[in-house]
Amino acid sequence: MGVKKRISGCVATANAVKLADVEVICSYPIRPYTGIMSELARMVADGELDAEFVYGEGEHGQLSVVYGASAAGARAFTGSSGVGVTYAMEVYSPISGERLPLQMAIADRTLDPPGDFGSEQTDALCCRDQGWIQGWASTPQEALDLTLLYYRIGEDPRVLLPQYACQDGYFVSHILGEVDIPDAAQVKEFLPPYKNHHVLDPRNPQIIGAQMEPSMGPGMQYQRYQAIEGSRKVIEEVHEEFGRIFGRKYAPWVEEYMTDDAEVVIFMQGGHAETCKTVVKRLRNLGEKVGLVRLRTFRPFPTQQVRDALGRFKAVGVVDNSVNFGISGAAGVLLTEARTALYGLGDKVPTVGFVAGLGGEMITHDEFYKMFAKLKEVAKAGKADKQSYWLPFEL
Amino acid sequence: MTNLFEEPGLKQITVWARGVYENKEARDVVVAVTEAAALEGKFVQAWENYVDLPDRIYVPVRAYGKISDQEIESKYVYENETPDIVALTEETLVKGVDILAGIKPGAVLVINTKRPAEYLFKFIKKGTENLASIVTVDANSLAKSIITLSGAEGATDASGIGKGMGAALAAAIVKATGIVQFESLLKIVENKNAAKKAFEKAQVVDVKTLVNAG
Amino acid sequence: MSVPVKEVPFAGTVPSPKTENEGMITGNWRTRRPVLDADKCTNCLICWISCPDSSVNQNADVVSFNLKYCKGCGICNEVCPVGAISLAPELDFED
Repeated sequence: MGVKKRISGCVATANAVKLADVEVICSYPIRPYTGIMSELARMVADGELDAEFVYGEGEHGQLSVVYGASAAGARAFTGSSGVGVTYAMEVYSPISGERLPLQMAIADRTLDPPGDFGSEQTDALCCRDQGWIQGWASTPQEALDLTLLYYRIGEDPRVLLPQYACQDGYFVSHILGEVDIPDAAQVKEFLPPYKNHHVLDPRNPQIIGAQMEPSMGPGMQYQRYQAIEGSRKVIEEVHEEFGRIFGRKYAPWVEEYMTDDAEVVIFMQGGHAETCKTVVKRLRNLGEKVGLVRLRTFRPFPTQQVRDALGRFKAVGVVDNSVNFGISGAAGVLLTEARTALYGLGDKVPTVGFVAGLGGEMITHDEFYKMFAKLKEVAKAGKADKQSYWLPFEL
Repeated sequence: MTNLFEEPGLKQITVWARGVYENKEARDVVVAVTEAAALEGKFVQAWENYVDLPDRIYVPVRAYGKISDQEIESKYVYENETPDIVALTEETLVKGVDILAGIKPGAVLVINTKRPAEYLFKFIKKGTENLASIVTVDANSLAKSIITLSGAEGATDASGIGKGMGAALAAAIVKATGIVQFESLLKIVENKNAAKKAFEKAQVVDVKTLVNAG
Repeated sequence: MSVPVKEVPFAGTVPSPKTENEGMITGNWRTRRPVLDADKCTNCLICWISCPDSSVNQNADVVSFNLKYCKGCGICNEVCPVGAISLAPELDFED
C-alpha cells in the first residue's frame, strides 16, 4: 500500500517521475511548473532518484535534450509552462514523428497577453495536434496518476508516442491536496522498463531522424496518424490495468458526475471541474437536474464517447479555459470538438460555449451557477440565442 | 447565490510575511496548524498566494490555510476572502498593509513582536470592527527565522516544518484560538521548545479594551 | 476578481511613470527606515546614485528620503562614507 501525503500537483508529478524511475530529466525554470523540477532536483541531490539531471539552456534546448535521451533508449522527462511551452514548439513534431515516448509535464500558464502569468490552458492546447497523447489532471492525485498512465500508454509498442501530462497551473500545481503515493512494487508491476523500437548500438549504426524526401512525407504522417488512432484501444486497456493495480479507477475518456437524470450538463476539462462539482452538488440539493462531464483524454479526442455522453442531454455548456481568437463558435477548441462530436444530432442537443477562468482567474461558484442558469434557458427554448459567452463580461 | 456556496464551519487562516526571507516561516505556520488539524481528523488545505510574487525581498506575501469538519469544497478558491485568523510574521506589516481585509466577526490577529498590542493597534487603520483580540508573541526571541527557498513554488520543504520562528507563531495562534489541540501542534513542529515557550508567553488582548483605551 | 474590461489598459499599454509610479507604491515593504544625521551628511550623493528605487532626493544642502517608495533595503546605510545614515525600526515612527 502507498503512503498518503498532502502535496501539491508539482510534487505529485515529481513523485510519479521518481516512481517511474526516469533516467534523464531536463529542466529550465518557468512558473508554475518549476516546482516539479525543484522537487526532482532535490530528489536527485539527496540520492532518492538516480537520474541524469540536465539544465537546459531554454525550452527548445530542454526538448532537444530529452529527444536525444529518449532516442538513446532512456526514459526521459521534461516540462514547462506558458511561453516556455511555445518556445519549444519546433521540437514536438520530430519527437512524435520519430516515435519517442518521452513525457512532458505542462502546468498551464497564459501566453503573455502581455505580462500576466496566471493559469490558462492555451499553452498546452497550442501544441495539441503534434501527435502527442494529451490530457488534463484535475487534482494532485490525478497529476501523479497521469504521469504513470501516460508513460505506460506512450511506451506501449503499439503506440510509441510522447505525452503531455497537463495540469492547471497554480490551482492543481501549487495548492496542496491529499495524494496516495503508490509504492515502488506496484509501479514496477504496472510500468515495465522502456524499450525503444531500435537499440542504439555502434555495431548496427542507424540514423535517427534521417532526411526524408517530400515523397516520404505522406507515409510518415500516415504512420503517426495510425499510431494515435491505434492508441485508443491501448488507453482503455491501460486504464483498466491501472485500476486493477492501484485501486483507483478512472474512466479513460470522460468522467461523469451526477449525470444520471440530468437535463443540462457542463462539459470541460481540468481542475476547474472540481469547482463545478460543488456547484452541481448544491444545485442538486435544490432539485435541479444538472451534471458535469469532464473530459480526461484530449488527444486522441474521444469523438464517439463524447457523442454518447453528451448526446442525451437537453443542453450542453462547454467551458473553454483557453483563447482561440477567431475560431468557429467564438469560444474555444473544446466547444468546436464537442460540436463536431455531436454533429448530426442537429437541434436535439443545443451547445453553448463559455470562455472562463482566463489569465489565471478561478472560475467561481457564481460563474458556474450563471452558466447552469443560462443552460436551463437554452434547454427550455431548445436553442441558444448566442453561440458563446465570455465570462465574466457577457454573463 | 452567495449563501448557496457557504461552507459552515470552514476556518480560514491567513499569514502575512515579508517576501523571500520569511516565505518559509509563513508557510510553516499554515502547514503546521493544518497538519495538526489533520491529525485530529479535520479536512485541511494549505498553500501560498501565487500572485504575491514571493521572489522579491520584503514584499508583503501571504500563505493560507483552511480547516473544516467537512470536505473542503472551495479548494480552488485561491485566496482566503474571509479569514478567521490573521497572523503576521513581522510587526511592521500592521503599517500600510490591509491585513484585516474581509475578516469574519470574532477574528483574531496574531503578531510576532516585542511591542505591546496597545501600540500596534494604533497603526491598524482598517477592518478592526470584526476583530476580537490581538495576540502578541516575541517569536524571534524563541527561534530564528529560517531563510530558504526550499519548499517554494509548491515543492517540498526539506528544511523541516516548524523548525524556526514559525513554530512559535503557530503556538500563539493555537493558544489564542484553540483551533487545534496544542499537543497536536507539538507532534508536527520540529522546534517544540520554541512552540512551548510561545504557548506560555503569548499575550492575548481583547480588542474592546484597546478601543476603550484609545 | 476580474477587472472590468473598460478599466484594463488598452493593449496593455500604460503611461510610463515620470517621477512617481502610483501603481507600485512600495513604502509598505519597509521594516527599517533610513534616518539622516544632517550634521554628518556631506551631500556627496553616493546614496542617491546607489539607491535602487530612486528614493533618495537631492537637495541644496543635504539629501532626504522618499518614504512613499523606500523599501528599507539599507544600501544607503551601507554606502554612506561618513556614517550619516542609520536604520531605525519602522514602527518607532507613527507616521
